[in-house]
Amino acid sequence: MKQLLQKWGKGFGIYVALMIVFPFVMPDEYYRSVGIIIGLHAIVTIGLCLVMGLAGQISLGQAAFWGIGAYTSAVLTTKYGLSPFVGLIASAIVPGLFAFILGRAIAGLQGYYLAMATLAFGYIVQIGITEWEPVTGGASGMISIPQVPFFGGSELSMYYLIWAVVTCVLLFSLNLLHSRVGRAFRAIHKSEIAATSMGIDVSKFKLNAFVVSGMFAGISGGLYAHYMGILDPQPFGLHESIKFLTMVVIGGMTSIWGALIGTVLIGFISEGLILLSEVIPGLQGDVDTIVFGGILVLIVMFMPEGLVPRIRSVYEKAQAKKAKEAAVKAQSGERVERKAAT
Amino acid sequence: MTTLLEVQELSRDFGGVRAVNQVDFQVREGEILALIGPNGAGKSTVLNMVSGVIPPSAGEIRFASKPMTKVPGYEYAGLGITRTFQNLQTFDDMTVLENVMVGMHTKTSSSLFSCGMNLGKAKKEEKLMEQKAHAWLGQVGLATESQRLAGSLPYGKLRLMEIARAMVAGPRLLLLDEPAAGLNHTETAEMSRMFCEIRDSGTAILLVEHDMDMIMTIADRIVVLDQGTKIAEGTPREIQENPRVIAAYLGTEEE
Repeated sequence: MKQLLQKWGKGFGIYVALMIVFPFVMPDEYYRSVGIIIGLHAIVTIGLCLVMGLAGQISLGQAAFWGIGAYTSAVLTTKYGLSPFVGLIASAIVPGLFAFILGRAIAGLQGYYLAMATLAFGYIVQIGITEWEPVTGGASGMISIPQVPFFGGSELSMYYLIWAVVTCVLLFSLNLLHSRVGRAFRAIHKSEIAATSMGIDVSKFKLNAFVVSGMFAGISGGLYAHYMGILDPQPFGLHESIKFLTMVVIGGMTSIWGALIGTVLIGFISEGLILLSEVIPGLQGDVDTIVFGGILVLIVMFMPEGLVPRIRSVYEKAQAKKAKEAAVKAQSGERVERKAAT
Repeated sequence: MTTLLEVQELSRDFGGVRAVNQVDFQVREGEILALIGPNGAGKSTVLNMVSGVIPPSAGEIRFASKPMTKVPGYEYAGLGITRTFQNLQTFDDMTVLENVMVGMHTKTSSSLFSCGMNLGKAKKEEKLMEQKAHAWLGQVGLATESQRLAGSLPYGKLRLMEIARAMVAGPRLLLLDEPAAGLNHTETAEMSRMFCEIRDSGTAILLVEHDMDMIMTIADRIVVLDQGTKIAEGTPREIQENPRVIAAYLGTEEE
């Protein structure tokens, strides 16, 4: 733990502190549920960041893995009476398998073609869930999905359970980023030729990144199902996939912290819009889609690297300037001293 | 001396145009073989085939007696062939140290899970990679730049970084594609000295280069290509005196 703190520094400490106190400082218990949903989204977006920001593979079907995870655990626990913990494990494995098969099938695709293929996959999954009525309950969905028996399953204990998972996913991804595998992902993103000539099996590592992101999304989906207690196919479509993408891009694709911060930001903006809509009657319906679309356009135009990398580079420049000024001062001071001595 | 790399009747077509035509040559253990020729002679194409970047249209490449034409590109590094690139292929958003650490990929094997959990094996390998990378950054004179982002380095230093990245895993054959391009005279001289050291430490070099000073000082043997065909092979002295080479290549310079 000490080592971890040293490695990730103050940022990690601040994250843990904020995460723990959040449910208590917010005035309303309602915000616990907001925190839970943000946490669930963060698990997905951190995974998406690995595949998109690090390995450079666009995915427009992340909500589909989320949905497969949700329905896997929901069906296993509701129809077959398995424990939610077993369901949650399956909710990581089954989407992982789907990601593996899809990843193998589209291994040769790049850029637009990969985007199209994952988009199509997203549609197929959502339609599949809607039509497979005997198992998934079709468009009307499923009800009375059991809660996760974690400290009584209260809202607060769910909040901590989910943020514990977020923390695990975050640490796993940060470790990965600064490892042989993470560097292989980043190398592929910059130059596939150079990566290959360094001995990196490009298609294998792309597939790995894809499967991990699918598994993260699946775990989040499983937790979502047990938290909500009801499921229908509506949230697992393109709209949600684009929302995940927006979160990652705003925070900064190349940064794991960026994915988390982008997710939190979009979560709060969402809540802000809901509050606003109570004051301004015109602001109802799909306003959030318009706002997120607008934010995405602005970010891509003016800050393509995203928030976190931008802030980091501004901070580093300021530090460098400070150091330079200090050096100049020290030098001129020395000169004055020398003059005084002569 | 034993043959390390053997190229036989190697050909490559690009949409009906024969870029490389039935080229034969060998690289022996412990030598620097230079591949020269006028622009468009097919030197880079040969290097790309020998490094597994593009497959040959016909012919055979054997490395340490192993046929290589069916071997996938990513296995070359592990077998002991690494390379640098004419138009730099660096990982700009990584630090210089990380760039070189990527070169150790084939010498390590931690799985994704092991890396994510930061298990003992991953930690140990990470340390090994760092140690070797630091050592090679010292060798090429980039020790003080290790924490800088590669994207912020000047051209000449990036070339050195690519060499460190290619050498860090201790290959048996190093392929260099115009390493002196864009470098000044002092930098070129330093680089020549480094290549001789690399050769003397046991790594053979196949060098594609335009800088004649460099080639004539460090190459043990030279193969000359013109319009995709081999026109001469020999020591630097023999090549300088070869009338066909002078006609095709050096002649234009001596006018």
